[in-house]
Amino acid sequence: MTTHNKYTAAAVAVLLLLIYLSFYSVRETEFALVTQFGRPVRTVADAGLHVKWPFQSILWFDKRLRIYNPRPSEFLTRDKKNLVIENYVAWRIGDPDRFVQSVGDASAAEMRLHDIIWSGLSAALGMENLDSLVSASADKVQATGMLDLLTASADRVALSQYGIRVADVRIKRLNLPEQNKQSVFARMRAERERIAMQYRAEGEEQALTIRANADREKEEILSAAYKDAEKTRGQGDAEATRIYGQAYSKNPQFYRLLRTLESYKKVLDDKTTIILNSDSELLKVLTRGEAGAK
Amino acid sequence: MSTLVASQFETAERSEVVLEFPSSRPRQLRLWAWLLGAWILSGIYIVSPEQQALVTMFGAVTASRVLPGIHYALPWPIDNVYKLKVHQLRRVAIGGDVADNVLGRLQPVSSEFLSGDQNLLNIRVVAQYSVSEPRDFLFQTENVDRVVGSVVGAELSRRIAHTAVDDILTTGKIAIQNEVLRAAQQTMDSYRTGATISSISLESVTPPPEAADAFRSVAGARADAIRIVNQAEGYANDLLPRARGEAAQLLEQAQAYKEGKVNRAAGDAARFGEVVLEYAKAPKVTSTRAYVEAMEQILPKLKKLIVDSSGNVDLTVIRRDDNSGTNQTGTSRK
Repeated sequence: MTTHNKYTAAAVAVLLLLIYLSFYSVRETEFALVTQFGRPVRTVADAGLHVKWPFQSILWFDKRLRIYNPRPSEFLTRDKKNLVIENYVAWRIGDPDRFVQSVGDASAAEMRLHDIIWSGLSAALGMENLDSLVSASADKVQATGMLDLLTASADRVALSQYGIRVADVRIKRLNLPEQNKQSVFARMRAERERIAMQYRAEGEEQALTIRANADREKEEILSAAYKDAEKTRGQGDAEATRIYGQAYSKNPQFYRLLRTLESYKKVLDDKTTIILNSDSELLKVLTRGEAGAK
Repeated sequence: MSTLVASQFETAERSEVVLEFPSSRPRQLRLWAWLLGAWILSGIYIVSPEQQALVTMFGAVTASRVLPGIHYALPWPIDNVYKLKVHQLRRVAIGGDVADNVLGRLQPVSSEFLSGDQNLLNIRVVAQYSVSEPRDFLFQTENVDRVVGSVVGAELSRRIAHTAVDDILTTGKIAIQNEVLRAAQQTMDSYRTGATISSISLESVTPPPEAADAFRSVAGARADAIRIVNQAEGYANDLLPRARGEAAQLLEQAQAYKEGKVNRAAGDAARFGEVVLEYAKAPKVTSTRAYVEAMEQILPKLKKLIVDSSGNVDLTVIRRDDNSGTNQTGTSRK
């Protein structure tokens, strides 16, 4: 039994080993590169269980999209302005065969990408004016077309040379070189001071307008009231005059008498000295007696 | 000694015999069966309420969205279960703030953005996202946090570079957040990140410390302007009601004058009307009576000189009489 059993065990072990060597699984995130004595035979991109010859071996490559952030670097625009630009590159391995031969690993790939993108970006920015990148006017949209072109050409070069697909190149941050910043800060301060003065002056303007407006309105109100008031008084006078006229015209002579006597009461006071003729209407009776009353 | 060795051999011999013993077979099988059972049962897994799961078989996805509950997958190494907290909000901050410089990091987190009118601003933005497509989220990108950070950073930088600094600091914030969210989501979808950004918020937007005092003085000036305008409005608010009151007073006075005048006229007219009726009955007597009555009222107050109808009067007498203080002497002289 013992020798027989040992043979069986060995056979089972060999079988298991063969199965182990003949099957391999590929995850969703990977490419598998099947190599035969070091020579790449084929690339498998489909996830799942696959078969190979036991003597073939496998290299796995991550095929997920990755983000590479190169260090910020300074570029010159067409109008000779310096800009510090920080960009990111979204890339993935596209051709594992070429990738393993020319690059090998991710950090080496990033170095290659850095060179491609840097030269592409500096050439592209050299054809753009600063205000196509930085501008407060709404109609100037950032030159995204430039970045799309850059992405396409970088993708072409990287794929054919390094087996790398460049999915996207974007500008992550725009900044000014350190040596320019002090002057920018000075400009910002000056601008703020101007704006502060403008705010104050505009406030004054508004306040003066409001005050003058109020003064004018006051004058309008008072003069309109004066107008209406005088009109009303006039109406009163007219009405009174009409009433008097109507009443007194019934007997003007008697009115004249009464009114004159009325006015005497006001006109003549204790400071007045009056010289009366003894022959006057009032004193006639005094001087002539009964006959004076005729 | 030899017996001892012999006994050892014996036990060895015996143990081999035990292994060969047919009754041990079922026990061994039972052990294997237990192990097999345990292995099969190890495929049971639970997805908790906040999770979703994804199952792969030899690396290939077989179920991309397994909802909460108890489930079964083939045990290792065949199936593999990934559980994800899909509703959990994940947070990415872009840009540091001033504190980063103070903390003395070797490479301070760059938070300076260049605005459209070439001002520098320190901005810190926080993006929140959640998993929308577990399969893409797990397998399409290497590091979703990093993708979100980069994409949001790029879109933010683009918007900031096309907006004037005053808009960024005041009214434009909401618009920027919305636009960045929309554009960043679009880019992320094109990368198939399987993530949905739920919010972008500009947590702090501050001018650089080098120019901060100037920005503050603008805020002060704005407050001053508002104060001045308010004072002017206070002046107007004080002035106009007074003027209206004064106007009302004028009108009322005029109305009063009119009413008074008319009423008095009516009164006078009525009085005259009454009197004239009586006058008509005896005109001569009435006018004489009126004259005399009036004289009675008037004359007592006056200084009087009564002269003869023919004679002239020496007017110097008036002055002397004035000096003497009596008019009685004057009258007596006649």
